[in-house]
Formats: sequence, structure tokens, C-alpha cells
Amino acid sequence: MAALDFLATPLLDYLANGLVLSSIIVLGGIGLSLVYSIAGFANFAHGDTMTVGAYTAFVAFGAIGAVGSGVLGLPIGFFVALVIGVAVAALVAVITEYVIYKPLDTDRIGLLITSIGVAFVYRAIIRMEFGADFRRYDIQAMRPIEALLPYEVRITPHDIAIVGTAVLLVGGLHVLLQYTDLGRKMRAMADNPDLARVSGIRTERITLWTWIIGAGLAGAGGVFLGLYNQLSPRMGFSLLLLIFAAVILGGIGSVYGAMLGGLLIGMTNQFMPALPNLGQLFPLVPESFGIPIGIQYANAVAFIIMVLVLLVRPTGIAGEVS
Amino acid sequence: MVDFEDYRENWASMSRTEQGTTVGLVLIGVFLVVALLSGALAPAYLAFLVGLGAMYALLSLGLNAQWGFTGLINFSVAAFFGIGAYGTALMTADSSPIAGGFNPLVGLVIALVLTAILAILIGVPTLRLRADYLAIASLGLAEVVRLIALNERQWTNGSAGVRGVPTFFEGWPVLETLPSTLPSVRVAVVPGSPIVLEAPFYGAFLDLVVVAVFLAVSYWVLRRVHRSPWGRVLRTIRSDEDLAEALGKNTYSYKMQSFVFGSLIMALAGVFAAHLTRFVAPGTLDPITTFYVWVAVMLGGSGSNRGALLGGFVIVAIREGSRFVNDVGALPVDPASLRLLVIGILIIVVMRFRPQGLLPPQKELIWPGTVDETPTTIDRGVRDARVGDTDE
Amino acid sequence: MVARDSSGQRRRRFLQATGASLLAGLAGCTGGGGGDGEDTTTTTTESGEDTTTSTTTTEDSGGMEYTIGMINSETGSLSAFGERNQRGKDMAIAEVNEYGVKGGTLNIQVEDSESKSQPGVSAAQKLVNQAGVPFIIGAVGSGVSLSIYESVIQGTDVVQLSQNSTGLGLTEFPGLLRISPSGRSQSVALTDIIADDGYDSVAVTWVNNNYGQSLADAFLNNWDGDVAFQNPHNQEQNSYSNLVSQMADSGADAWVFIAYQQGFTTMVNDIFSGGYEPALYGADSVRGDVVLENTPEGSMEGMKIVTPSAPVNQDNYKEFASAFKEEYDKEPTSWAAFAYDAVITAALSIQAADEFTGAALGEVVRDVTRPEGQQVTSYAEAAEILADGGGPSDVDYQGVSGPIDLDDNGDPKGFLQVLEVQDHAYEGIDFISG
Repeated sequence: MAALDFLATPLLDYLANGLVLSSIIVLGGIGLSLVYSIAGFANFAHGDTMTVGAYTAFVAFGAIGAVGSGVLGLPIGFFVALVIGVAVAALVAVITEYVIYKPLDTDRIGLLITSIGVAFVYRAIIRMEFGADFRRYDIQAMRPIEALLPYEVRITPHDIAIVGTAVLLVGGLHVLLQYTDLGRKMRAMADNPDLARVSGIRTERITLWTWIIGAGLAGAGGVFLGLYNQLSPRMGFSLLLLIFAAVILGGIGSVYGAMLGGLLIGMTNQFMPALPNLGQLFPLVPESFGIPIGIQYANAVAFIIMVLVLLVRPTGIAGEVS
Repeated sequence: MVDFEDYRENWASMSRTEQGTTVGLVLIGVFLVVALLSGALAPAYLAFLVGLGAMYALLSLGLNAQWGFTGLINFSVAAFFGIGAYGTALMTADSSPIAGGFNPLVGLVIALVLTAILAILIGVPTLRLRADYLAIASLGLAEVVRLIALNERQWTNGSAGVRGVPTFFEGWPVLETLPSTLPSVRVAVVPGSPIVLEAPFYGAFLDLVVVAVFLAVSYWVLRRVHRSPWGRVLRTIRSDEDLAEALGKNTYSYKMQSFVFGSLIMALAGVFAAHLTRFVAPGTLDPITTFYVWVAVMLGGSGSNRGALLGGFVIVAIREGSRFVNDVGALPVDPASLRLLVIGILIIVVMRFRPQGLLPPQKELIWPGTVDETPTTIDRGVRDARVGDTDE
Repeated sequence: MVARDSSGQRRRRFLQATGASLLAGLAGCTGGGGGDGEDTTTTTTESGEDTTTSTTTTEDSGGMEYTIGMINSETGSLSAFGERNQRGKDMAIAEVNEYGVKGGTLNIQVEDSESKSQPGVSAAQKLVNQAGVPFIIGAVGSGVSLSIYESVIQGTDVVQLSQNSTGLGLTEFPGLLRISPSGRSQSVALTDIIADDGYDSVAVTWVNNNYGQSLADAFLNNWDGDVAFQNPHNQEQNSYSNLVSQMADSGADAWVFIAYQQGFTTMVNDIFSGGYEPALYGADSVRGDVVLENTPEGSMEGMKIVTPSAPVNQDNYKEFASAFKEEYDKEPTSWAAFAYDAVITAALSIQAADEFTGAALGEVVRDVTRPEGQQVTSYAEAAEILADGGGPSDVDYQGVSGPIDLDDNGDPKGFLQVLEVQDHAYEGIDFISG
């Protein structure tokens, strides 16, 4: 339709792809924020937890096979492998917490540094097991959805699956946090751990559940990252900086801040091509105006935005002012 | 005549760890001397390795000035190192897109200036943030610097890098050609396996002199600074920033000073690296350097200058030592994964069992004069004083 | 006090462990050394670390071990190529030692450059100053090779032959030899092919490092038509979809990729799931079985790739390829071929030279590859001629990566093959002489 012609700009495509990347970043970021608010430190091993989830799903999917035809181009076996990946990521994180983090008698910064060591260990083990080269899931790639092509939006059913699952998981988390007992206790602990303990909340169990949920979400993010892009031992770590940027500008410790930050960073990344052509794409901006920053600066722009937000709000958009 | 009493007193006053470390260092020193004299270890290679160790020690000292003194979690070490290297390379190399052909001393000055500017640029948005935000933000900004170095070809030659960086002594009257003019010396302490001292050794030795001078100057300055009133404010900020604020100190300004100060020391390491490898590329700004230096500082002892020195040399020993492991026998596992695993486990082990590092600052923080003035007998006070007891 | 004792014990143990590991690390250097540098019959795992460059090449019946050095990118951003180099090198050593070198065996001490210049220089320092090798095959990456040359090799007699350096700048250093031709020839060939296919506007992307940049520069310089889009991309990105959409938006008919396999696989998948169907062209780095395995059928149909190679119908390449396939269960890549040829060239130089020193090897290394002399395609053939009293100019080694023919600048003559993706497999369709 002629009236809708103005929609046929690349902007919608950037938006759609931005949603997909944001979903992955959000899944990683929420876990990071959760762990920070309750376990109390910035976990540098979070990216590699995503990698653990992804590779576990790879092995599981290889063992199970496709099984049924599934939905949105993803066989049932893949979803089963996803669940296994999530479970193993959670398990690894819990073991790490009990064996390494808990016995440590040090402050937040010491835990941060220890988590760097843990990240190296995860990555080294995956490298030893699978080699340094990349691989993909044995799932047929798909063509873009026909109905959206006139709007210049090119996404595949896989992308919809990624966004859909992320929405489901995040929605489930929201329900958990707001309407369940566990969620209430988690929020109480995040707000004021001493008061929570004093009022009878079993903080140890809550911490355990936080690790399970946080690492599980990260595992899911890792599986989808592998589907969206590919699997390699460094996959989680190379996304980690972006996840940190998202979480920090959203306000570390705030789950909703992490969602917002993830959305922002994911969109920024995909909207980079628009920068040199701002005038042509947006109606009110003069035609020739454009910021000549190439896409190779995508990560740099994300960090600059994070720093700018921090300048204005040093604890992040939704962060607590402690 | 050697006074053994003094040595014995010193030994007794050292902590267990210090004693152990001293013994370990002495053993290693003996081992190296033996290897050198028997001709098994080439002097040129040893000089190179020591120079490398000194370079990492410099980086660790710089990080110590920021983290150890003031508690700033700086994850942009690689950026300062890299800008120091680029600064001198862009001034002195003939392939430089901006300048080129200047004397390395000019390169040194420019490198320091550029690094100070970068430190301020990175410090302004990050130093007011809390500790973990500072870590991520500094890491992110270091990546920005690396991406700029990689992409702005008109300033840095981009991914091609700046080649043809001269040695540090280029243009100096005698020292420039010294390595080739000095005679070749062959000493055979163990017959058949001579120690060869010729041009590569003299060149490496000159490089070693450069970094040793940098290191000595930095160490001396840091020692004095650590005990000075300025250093005391920094230490207060580290342990309790609110207290420092309450005492009326502008903590932001002090943190910035410490940040810039540390970055200058890191830049010295970068300058040395540029003249050593004769080539600077965006790979010099790889964040892995930052993590290595952090391991060095933690392992050596946070807050301690001696610890930083020790940590720097230990890190180089691990990195270069792992090359020799391949020579001893074939490994079942690929070396990269193994190295990564070892570093990871090392970090965890150190944080678990010895978070303060091998040589934490102890007596370093006490002004020597205070120790000397401490009375050996207990002050009995006015009441118990007898006539003629004291000189007062 | 009990607690202090146990923590003291722990400290001591930790120190002991540190000290022991340091000692173990340094122990390696006394492992093989201390010998007299004459007749070291050490096993191949303990490389003969002579600190004196052995000047005696007594052809003992015991067989001397000739140790040269190799600097490979075992880790770091170029580690995938290091792996491929290693396969080629292993095959070459096996073949050389089957016949022998001057009655002895060839041994290669490999050090890791970590794909960066400073560790590369460390590796070179160890090989040249500690192990005292007269010949180094190294490095991967033009920047690393140059750094090694200018800081360690230049001014000494050591011969440096890089297995993978495509940067244009190396031509200006005659002392720095390389087996991989300058990237220029590939890029020029690509422009010709695209023009011949009738396209006049291109969208180009290249990997943001020295390799990609130098090939892209040569391509853009030589391309006469329109450049609708040109932009580098970073390695190891999580998404290349905006790169692909930009290339599509530019309206170019032909898309040119100078990319590594990891990134290129993602790009192909993004092109497929974006529903685009451009004409695809690529440099040799995009080619590989791992790309075919991880992309959908038909996604690259008709793509043309230029790769350095020997004429595929040449017997030595066929033998090399089939032996390679038998050993590693995959097709050899150009990197394996380069490394293979580098080792063979080194071995032939040792065979042809009067003595095992850098100076002597440097004199003959070019000649054994130059067109004067009888064309030979295997190490055994060439070594026989040399052992029978022939000089280096009596032999012209034709490698599996091309005719080599090292010129005065230390550059080989490029020989290219054009591949086309047909039915999701690489088929050779043409040859271009460099």
C-alpha cells in the first residue's frame, strides 16, 4: 500500500534484528544483575557460563537428534537440548559458588577478580574438549518470512523463536519476582540483606536459587547465541563486555534495568548502519546529515553510550542510589 | 668485614613468606648463574628475558600506584601501555603516518604527554564511579582506544602497524653503534660450551639498561611517594573514602592524580616495548595484557612495590617458561588451553589462600625513622621515675 | 598456634610450588644443552639446543640432526592458520626425513607467536639467541614477520622465510623471504574476474587486520568500476547482519569478501536468512571445508574464489592432496601447502649448502627454487640431484603452492587457481599465473 511506503525503510529491519540481539543480551544481562544484587559481586564468568550452556546443548542435540519437527523451524530435540543446556549451566554455576566463591574470605573486588579466574578455567576446559575452531548447530538455516518482506524486514522463524522464548522466560521471571514467595524474598534480599536475614528469610537458599535462575538464563542466552551466530570457545566472553555495558547502564542490581539496558545496547548495535545516513532515514533531519561512524565501531559506540549514561546517572538508569 | 649480626637480625625480622621468597629468589639466581656459566643459557636471551620481566614489573608498579595505593580498579592498563608505545613509535619510526625520524627521547616525552592526556580522558568519566563500575568502564574505554588505533589509519597506520621503530639509542653518539663495535668475547668456563658475548648480547644488554633505569627511577619515586603525606591521603582513600572526604580532602582530585601518575609509569613500559620489538600494532592494546598485569600485582602483593616487582618477573617466568615446557616433552593438551587453565587456577588459588599476595606491604608503610626512634625499654612514666633516671 | 602453622604450611607449599614450577620451566633449557655442538644424537622431542651455531657438518653414519626454527601462530587471532600450517609442516618433515638431509634428519623447533608481535619477538629471541638456529620459518602475519625481522633477524646471518605474510610492504625487505605471494596478485585477479563477469559495481568488506587491509587496498586500487560499499569488519563479532544489510542496501551486483572462515560462515548464513542472492566473490581465506559444513546448500552457489595454489593437475599436488586427505581426512588448504613448501625449501637449502650456517644457507635458498636447473616436484628428486654433486642452480623446486621462484625481493611468483562453488563444493575452473 502506498500509504505504508514510508515504512519500507531499513529502519524496521534494524529494529527487528535489534530485538533479536537484545533478547540474547537481556537473557545474559538479567542473570548478571540478579547475581550481583544477591551474591554481591560482578561475575566475570557469566559470559563463559553462556558458553557452557551453548556447548552442552550442542552435545545434547547431537545425542538426541531432531526427534519431531518442532515449531518455528526448530525441532523438538533442540528445545530439549535447550533445557539440558540451561540445567547444566545452572549446575556448573552452583558448584562454582559452593566450591570457590563461598569459601572465599574476601570482598566484592576479590570475588570479581576470582571470577575472572573462573572464566578462564571454563573457557580452557571447553577449548580442550572441543578445540578452538567454530561450529554450528545441525539445524537447517531458513529463509526470511515472506509476509514481512514488503516492509523490508528480513527475519526468519528462528529469530522469532529467540525473541519469543526470551519474552517467555523474562515474563516468567517477572511473575516469579512479583507474585511468588521466592520472588518476594529475592527482592527483599536485594534491597537489604541484613534485614532479610533478620526477618527469618533463609538467605542461603535464596542465594542458591538466584544462582540457578541467573546461570540458567545465561545458559539459554548462550544456546540462542549459538543459534543466531555460531559456537566458539570465546563466544560468551566477546559478548560479555556488551552485556556488562547493558547491565551497568541499566543499573546493576536491577532486573528491569538490565532489560532496558539490554534493549538499548542491542538496538544501538543494529542501528549502527543508520548513523551515516541519518538525514535520509528520518523525516525531520536535513538530508545530508549523518554521523560518519562505520559499523566496525559498534562496540565502541555501545561503551561510549554506557559512559555517557553513567556521567549523568552514576548508578545507572534504574540502579539503586546506595 | 661482613657484619653477620645485622644479617641475622634482618632475617629474623622477616616474615615466613619473605624468608621463603628470599630463599626462592636466591635459588633461582644461583640456578641462572650456573646455567649461564655452563653455556646452556645464552646471555643474549637471558638479557632479553630479564628486560621483559622488568617491563612487566614496570606495568605492575604503575598498576600498584593506582590499585595498591588508591584502590582504583583500573582495567585499562593495556590502553596506557599501548599509547606509550604508539606515542614513541609515531614520533620516531620512519613508517609513521604523522611524524617520524625524531630522537627517541622526544618520543619518550611525547608518549608520556599523550598518556597523561588519555588518563585524564578516561579518568574524568570513570573516577567518580564506584569500584566495580570503574572496572567495567575502564575496560570499555580501553577497547574504544584499541578500536580507534585499529581503524584510524591516518593516525596509526591501522592494522598494518608502525614498523621501523628505531632502538632507544638511535642517534646517540657512542651508544648507537656500541653493540657492533664492542669485541666479541668467548669464555669457556665449561670446556666445549662457551659463553658467547657478541652483538646480540650487547644490544640486549643496552635495552636492559634502559628498562632498568626506568624501573629504578619509578621504584624510587614510588617509595618516596608512598610514605609522603600525599601517599597517606591515597591510602586513606583506599581504605575509607568517606573518611577522606570527611577530613576535607578532594578525593576526586587525588584519585585523578594517582591515576595519571600510574599511567605514566605504564607508558614507560610501552616506550620500552616499542623500542624493543621495533613494531607497534593494535595488537599491543590487547586486553589480555591488562589481565596479566593484574595477576602479577595480586600474586606479588597488592599495595606493595616490592610485590609488584616480584609479580612482574613471575608473570614473565610463567609466560616464557611455558615455552620450555614444550621442549621437555610433548603435551597431551594444546598449550594455549593449558596456559589459560593455569592462569585461571592460579588466580583462584591466590585469591583463596593468599589474597594479599606473596609480599604484602608491611614495613614498607612504616617510615624508617619511626622504627629507629622506638625506645627499647618501656617508658615507665613520671610516677615510677627515680631521681637521676632520665636525661630530661 | 595451630591455625598459624597450617596457614604457614600453606604459604610454604605455595612458594614451593611456585619455585618448583619456575625451576621446572627453566630446567628445559639445560635439558639438551651443554653438548659440544658437534654430533648431537638427541631425540626429536628434545631439540638440540646448541648455543653455538654448529659449523661442522660431518656426515657421520650416526646422522646429524639439523635443527631449524619455526614461529607459528598456535594461539591468538590467527590460530586457525597456525593449525593448518602445522599439518603441512608435519607432512613435509615426514617426507624429508624419509630421504634424509645430508645423511641426517631434519628437526624443527616450533615456538608460538600468539599472533602478536611481542610474543613473536620472544619466540625469535629464543630460537636465534638461545637455540642458535640458522634458519627460521616465520611468522604468520606480516606485522609479526616484520617485527621479528627488524628486531632480531636483521643484521644477523639467520635466514627468515615467512610461511604466511601477504602484506605488500614485505617486498621492500629482500632479506625477509616468504613462501606466500604478496596479496596483490590475488586482489588483481579478483578485479579481473569480476569485470569479466560483467559487473561494474561492487560491495567490498574485509577483515580488519593487516591481511584484509592489504588485500582490500590492492583490490580497490585496481578496480575500475564503481565501489558501492566498502567497509572493514572486526573478527569474532556476534552478528554481521548489519554488515550484510548494508551491502544489500548499497545496490551493488557483486559482493566481495576478504574474510576469515569464521566470520564468513556467519555472513553467508545472514545472506541466506536475509533472502539476498548476490553474486559472491572471495579471497582464499573464505574457503574451507568448515565453511561448507556450516552453511546451507545453495547459499554460495556460483561463488568464485581466488586461491594461491599449484596447478592441480600437477602430480606433486595430487600426491600431496591425497596424502593429506589420508592423514587428516580433509582437503589441504593453501596454508598447509605454504608451510609444506617452506619446510621443503629449508631442507633443500641445507642439502645444497656447504655448511649449516645462516650465511651459507642464505646463499642457496633462493636458487633452489629459481627457474634455472631441472624442474623437480618432490623433495627426494631434488635432494638426489644435490647429493650427487649438483649445485643449487641445478635444481628448480616446484612447490605444491606454486612454482615459488623466489625473486630478489624474497617474494615468490604467485600462481593462482580460481575456484567456483558448484553443488556446494569447490571446483577448480581456471588458473592464473602471477
